[in-house]
Amino acid sequence: MNKDEIITLLKDWRVALLIILVVASIIAINPHFENGEFTTNLQYGLDLQKGAWLQLEFKSEVVGFQTDKPTDEFIASLKNQTDAEIFLVGDKLEIRKLYTQAELTPIFEKAGGKITSYQQGVSKTTADDVKRILESKINSLGTRDARINTLTGLDGVTRYIRVELAGVTMSEAQQVVGKQGKFEIRIATTGNQSEHVIFGDSITGVGNPTQEPPGSGKWGVSFTLNEDGAKAFQAAAIQYGAVSDPDNHQLQMLLDGKIIYSAPLSKELAGNLQQEVVRQLVASTGAGTTGQQAAQTLEIHLRNGALPVDVTVAGSGSVSATLGDHFKLMCLLAGILALITVGIVVYYRYREPAIVLPMVCINASEIIILLGISVFTIQLDLATIAGLIAVLGTGIDQLIIITDEILHEGKVPSPNIYQKRLSRALGIIVASAATVVIAMLPLALMDLSSLRGFAIITILGVLIGVTITRPAYGRIIMAILSK
Amino acid sequence: MTNATGTIYSPGCNYYDMGFTYDVNRYTPKQMVIIPLILLVLALISIGITMAQTGLPVKPGIDFSGGTAVTVFTTDSSEQISAYFAGYPLVGIEEGINNGKYLTFSNMPDAQFRALSDLIMARYPDAKVDQIGEAFGKTLQSQAVLALIFSFIGMAIVVFITFRTFVPSAAVVLSALADILMTAGAMNVLGIPLTLPTTAALLMLIGYSVDSDILLTMRTLKRQGKLDEKLAGAFHTGIIMTTTAIAAAAAMWVVSWFGQVQVINLIATVLLIGLAFDILNTWLTNAGIIKWYVTKKGGPMLTGGFTPKQETKKKGGK
Repeated sequence: MNKDEIITLLKDWRVALLIILVVASIIAINPHFENGEFTTNLQYGLDLQKGAWLQLEFKSEVVGFQTDKPTDEFIASLKNQTDAEIFLVGDKLEIRKLYTQAELTPIFEKAGGKITSYQQGVSKTTADDVKRILESKINSLGTRDARINTLTGLDGVTRYIRVELAGVTMSEAQQVVGKQGKFEIRIATTGNQSEHVIFGDSITGVGNPTQEPPGSGKWGVSFTLNEDGAKAFQAAAIQYGAVSDPDNHQLQMLLDGKIIYSAPLSKELAGNLQQEVVRQLVASTGAGTTGQQAAQTLEIHLRNGALPVDVTVAGSGSVSATLGDHFKLMCLLAGILALITVGIVVYYRYREPAIVLPMVCINASEIIILLGISVFTIQLDLATIAGLIAVLGTGIDQLIIITDEILHEGKVPSPNIYQKRLSRALGIIVASAATVVIAMLPLALMDLSSLRGFAIITILGVLIGVTITRPAYGRIIMAILSK
Repeated sequence: MTNATGTIYSPGCNYYDMGFTYDVNRYTPKQMVIIPLILLVLALISIGITMAQTGLPVKPGIDFSGGTAVTVFTTDSSEQISAYFAGYPLVGIEEGINNGKYLTFSNMPDAQFRALSDLIMARYPDAKVDQIGEAFGKTLQSQAVLALIFSFIGMAIVVFITFRTFVPSAAVVLSALADILMTAGAMNVLGIPLTLPTTAALLMLIGYSVDSDILLTMRTLKRQGKLDEKLAGAFHTGIIMTTTAIAAAAAMWVVSWFGQVQVINLIATVLLIGLAFDILNTWLTNAGIIKWYVTKKGGPMLTGGFTPKQETKKKGGK
């Protein structure tokens, strides 16, 4: 091939696109040395770097029901019988205590209704709450690389939540998830001084953020104090002047010694406190989205970092830094060795470096592009790497189909016949690519945690192959064979 | 065997045989399908027995039955490890080279697991620990089975849309199904459990297996020429495809075995088994049916004849 031919080849959009993508991918992966160590932008899952994961299962259920009674009355009756927190979510009930369907059936009957569906887990809203609480707990511990995923089924019920923490050991991860903050309420006295009122353990219940009064657009969180806490609250409010002069003696809420909320008593509450012990309080946080977000954060803090629903550990795992690095090295070795052996097999067949070299290069470029995309989309774990190597295998298969098809019965003649043969090959390739995509789709959509990355990388690999690398190979091999 | 494959190609391009001397045209359809048929029956028996024992076609590993898996690199012997974990439900120690060990524990209560976790970290701080609860395993298991079923149905739909004729499409689907069933049977025989990684490998097999089947069908049905030559040509290309796939899987297998990367090793093992069966099912089962279908439809009837009852009236369009 002379210089002109190479330039024409490079100007072909299929070839140019491939080269641009490879270069862009290398930039995205950004292999470089940092503090004398080789590093890239690739994101690793918990197989390949130090970290721990916990799969938590909600001890709660979402139950469909039918009743002739007014819904409020029905729920109240259920609450009396079960002593559980029960919320109406859409047209179903979220019962925040684990009962089997058999246990619930008589309770529902007694309340004057029946169960129409039963699913262990919580509603999407509650699951998002839990996710937020866990995130805030992890954030409060400093910058850690954390991922929290709720696994919501097609029926909208979330049964599991998965927490992945990079850089920590299992026991650290368990502590993080189980850790509760130290919550305290104080009253401002003079200057910067304040006096202790109660600790978080006096709070017995915390409501979800609501508009107070409803529809006003002003957000707040209701919370309940126990008998002793309420007495202490009343005594302190009177003693330190919060009742007589609310504006100068604000109530402060502290989490781990930091003030997170500060507000005066309302006139009405100040008046009431002079007469009686008040157990039910509302902390208002303002209007609009800001007010709502503040209310959500406050709710988490009021709960002391405790989750609204009990959870059990359904699964867990951890990898040490040493083993993570070891696996990383092994994956790299496996990939390189796979590429080499595939190259040898193909060489054994065609005995023609002009065919084999482009094949192997195209194959490698496919892997590079996939890795480039993965920087923005998925973390690499062991299963994903296996998927990458499988893509390498199917990729070379399809290059073989193209090569054999074009070489069929001799050398490539006119571009016309060449095109016909190439499109015939692409017909086979598209059909088999479609089957692979369809076969992997369920895995990519369902959440089998560790296999999702594998399925996504396989699908991406096939798509890139069909749309980018195969057409480019077709063009390159034509230039080489027709010389 | 006199008629080696590959020779039908005209000179001018450098083709070399792979050393296989199987001639796809030498046998009658009936002779071709008999070996896979026997293997399929054996696989079904193995699957049936496992099904009766565990409720699943392949014995479930800890991903699905629950339990704890530990990967460590240690010079401790199996006996020392067993002694160290006395009192915990240690069910297996697999030894790789390189001092790699892969321990499995059956289900245990939460408190006991925490104690075990501490015990592992005390002696083997570099271990990789994975624990799956029994209920969670059940959820994973039902999802994995669903994924396999959906994948298979989806694949079958694509194949039927591609070929739009019953017998060739059914042949492709059948040989993919046979691949998976034979591999599942072999997993039972070799004691390879069904886990998330091996489920992934089985799904991957669907893709690999259909690859060469589609090539075979496309080449024989949608092209002019003599059946013998088309079959030989398809075999020539198809066998190298499967060989490269086997080469990639073998590379994975060697490195993961050497480096004690259990997840990749299991995937590679299942792929290797499945690809070996794929050669059989593509070039015996599928090629056999296609040959019978084409010869019955038009060209002169060759010897033998494979005529399953339910398909004798089915003609199908071109």
